[in-house]
Amino acid sequence: MRNWKRSIGIGALAGVILCAAGPPSPGQHSYEKANALFVEKKFSESLAAVEEALRLDANLVPALTLKAKLAMAANRYDLARQSLERALTVDPTASYAQFLYGMVAYLNNEMTGALIRFRKARELAPRDPRAALYLGLATESVGQPEEALLLYKEAIRLERATGQPQAETLLPGARLLLLLGRLDECEGWIRQAVKLSPNLRDAHFELARLLLKKGEPAQAAAEGELSLSLSEGTVTDTAIHYLLIRAWQQAGMPDRAAVHAAVMRAGENPVIHTVVK
Amino acid sequence: MVVFTGFAGSAAAPPAPPIRFEEIAAKSGLRFELQNGEAGGFHQVELTPGGVAALDYNNDGCTDVFFTNGAAIPSLRKTGPKFSNRLFRNNCDMTFTDVTGEAGLAGEGYSVAVAAGDLDNDGWTDLFVAGVKGNALYRNLGNGRFADVTARAGLASLDPLFGPRWAVSAGWLDYDSDGWLDLFVANYVVWDAAREPRCGAPEKQFYCHPKAYQGLPNQLFRNNRDGSFSDVSRASGIGSHTGKGMGVSFADMDGDGLTDIFVANDSVRGLLFHNRGNGKFEETGLEAGVALRDDGHAIAGMGADFRDLDNDGRPDLVVSGILNDSFLLFRNLGGQKGFEDYAQRTGLLMSTRQLTGWSLGMYDFDNDGWKDLFFALAHLTQLDPYLGREAALPNRIYRNIEGGRLEDVSAGAGADFQLAANHRGAAFADFDNDGRMDAVVSVVNGPAKLFHNITGSQSHWLAIRLRGVRSNRQGLGVEVRVHLADGRDLYNHATTAVGYASSSEPLVRFGLGANRVAELVEIRWPGGPPQTIANVAADRIVEVTEQVQP
Repeated sequence: MRNWKRSIGIGALAGVILCAAGPPSPGQHSYEKANALFVEKKFSESLAAVEEALRLDANLVPALTLKAKLAMAANRYDLARQSLERALTVDPTASYAQFLYGMVAYLNNEMTGALIRFRKARELAPRDPRAALYLGLATESVGQPEEALLLYKEAIRLERATGQPQAETLLPGARLLLLLGRLDECEGWIRQAVKLSPNLRDAHFELARLLLKKGEPAQAAAEGELSLSLSEGTVTDTAIHYLLIRAWQQAGMPDRAAVHAAVMRAGENPVIHTVVK
Repeated sequence: MVVFTGFAGSAAAPPAPPIRFEEIAAKSGLRFELQNGEAGGFHQVELTPGGVAALDYNNDGCTDVFFTNGAAIPSLRKTGPKFSNRLFRNNCDMTFTDVTGEAGLAGEGYSVAVAAGDLDNDGWTDLFVAGVKGNALYRNLGNGRFADVTARAGLASLDPLFGPRWAVSAGWLDYDSDGWLDLFVANYVVWDAAREPRCGAPEKQFYCHPKAYQGLPNQLFRNNRDGSFSDVSRASGIGSHTGKGMGVSFADMDGDGLTDIFVANDSVRGLLFHNRGNGKFEETGLEAGVALRDDGHAIAGMGADFRDLDNDGRPDLVVSGILNDSFLLFRNLGGQKGFEDYAQRTGLLMSTRQLTGWSLGMYDFDNDGWKDLFFALAHLTQLDPYLGREAALPNRIYRNIEGGRLEDVSAGAGADFQLAANHRGAAFADFDNDGRMDAVVSVVNGPAKLFHNITGSQSHWLAIRLRGVRSNRQGLGVEVRVHLADGRDLYNHATTAVGYASSSEPLVRFGLGANRVAELVEIRWPGGPPQTIANVAADRIVEVTEQVQP
């Protein structure tokens, strides 16, 4: 899932809560400083602070978990794995560390490991919607769409229970329903996502895809153009332009389609027929 | 002139017998083991061999088999006989004899792809073998031997910009309709063993994603009609687009009488080259809607076939991909409407989501009048620890239910069809001339397979062997329509560019279902009026020579 960094960012707060529940650690102050710096996206300063925290207390689980997150942000999954293994050795019930371990596996396409860790995280924190959502994604990746849909529904239920439903949690299920051709159900999910996050380009993009599938190209084009105008979200401009080419063509406006095709081609690497000596 | 061969058909066909195969490679003497040269270095080239060709090199009416083979890495040399490319002669009794030595086709270098076609219109099928940093053109001398004419053909010179390239597929087409076959080469990425990027954790190295390598433009070579070729990549517009070419297939997508080109690319968008008829191509993949998956994602495109799946007279496009891509199927809507995503509605999308496909073919395996789909499958080798499952996969076959639904009938296709292996190339032909399409499949570091079609159908069939006079000798690119008494029109065209890195027989085949006669066979040679034959009896190969207007 593309917004995984957002998911582990939310985890920073969970780390604080977990830490507050235990006795004071000599590394606590440094850890809290590191966590605050992480939230501010000051990663190198955060890393220095977390190293200090671990120097003072090598078994400080929230610090080990934060170090793993920093490593993940730097695409150093080997280091993340090391930190998480250490954290889980110290505290096998650390649900967020289990979840992150699952994320490391998931992001490296190691679905067997991801499923094991996400399931464990679900056991440890049954009310955490993230574990349900990512277990759903991993389950979908290994070819079990119906089971995945159940997990997506569970993630949404858990989020609603907290009073903070997220559009990003609705969209994976909506995409799967679209793939399965269950267009009416899909529309319900997407419309909820649009309502929750009207400025999220991903939601409008999925709505545009749905409308195109339903044979409403003009409406699809309008949603697509709206999606392109928004900056929040992870859907690429390329994907939106490609949708708009087809939507405008089917809407009988090839000139508008051509504009988007030209933008896409301009972004591709041209072959320069010049020999570089 | 029309020549009928084969035997007349019998009783009316019962409906829907299961498509079945038996695997008979060892029994038939087709003993070949593809070697990719892997030695733990995770070199990208190891993933790509090897293509297979089905061709009748000695014109005895029985289709022979050619296998490409790898080489040692990093030398890219065929350091021993285990790396030889191999030619097997069909003894016309479903047994094969290795004739590589006498044919002079052992080859050199790291071979990946093969394209069979009669480049000089002498009636003998020639071979183009493409690979890593070196391609070879072999002219069929007609006496069982081939001559390496690469240099004389002008295909040995290095590209001044890119140097030696890495080709993964190639195909023959007559893009300028001059009656001589031209050559298209689909190139993959810039690769150097000494500069191979390293990916994965140090203790868990893996093959890099294609994004770690720079893509290459494809090449088009115009036949000069004298045994040589001119590189028209740049002039034609083909060379203006970079890709990571894997599969190439040809069809006249818009009915203008000109052959268009589709290239399946690995992790970047597909390219559709629309033939403008003036020696130039326009890339229209985006406008046509075949460049990307429906959600705008570029799949790891592998093999492709470009034929009419739904019998509406317009060629559709199927493309295989990697795990979690789903295979793509685009339905041709005609003209400016382009193509629509058809994989979801037919059931192919979700059914193939857990598969990794390489070569493929769209043929009517049960002769019911609807072309089915055969996929050669395997996940990337050494992916096992990541997936928690074997990379080896059994192949899959999908039955076409009246053009609207593709049903996975693999489970009923016989015990041999259930066996997993690291399948790669596949070529299609009727090796025993019984009217049922067979398939030969290469296996990475394992024995090749020959899937003999033993479908119990009594459906009838018709095969057209074209003989061009003004057109190219094999009639590649020529479209054929068959009208049946049950009211159906069936469409197909002659092409050998099918699947991934492979080359299939040039005959134009039709399953006729219960029809014992084709009421009308219409052959659309380029640049002339349609040639028609009425009331053609089924269950035979019909040889049709192009009628040329005085």
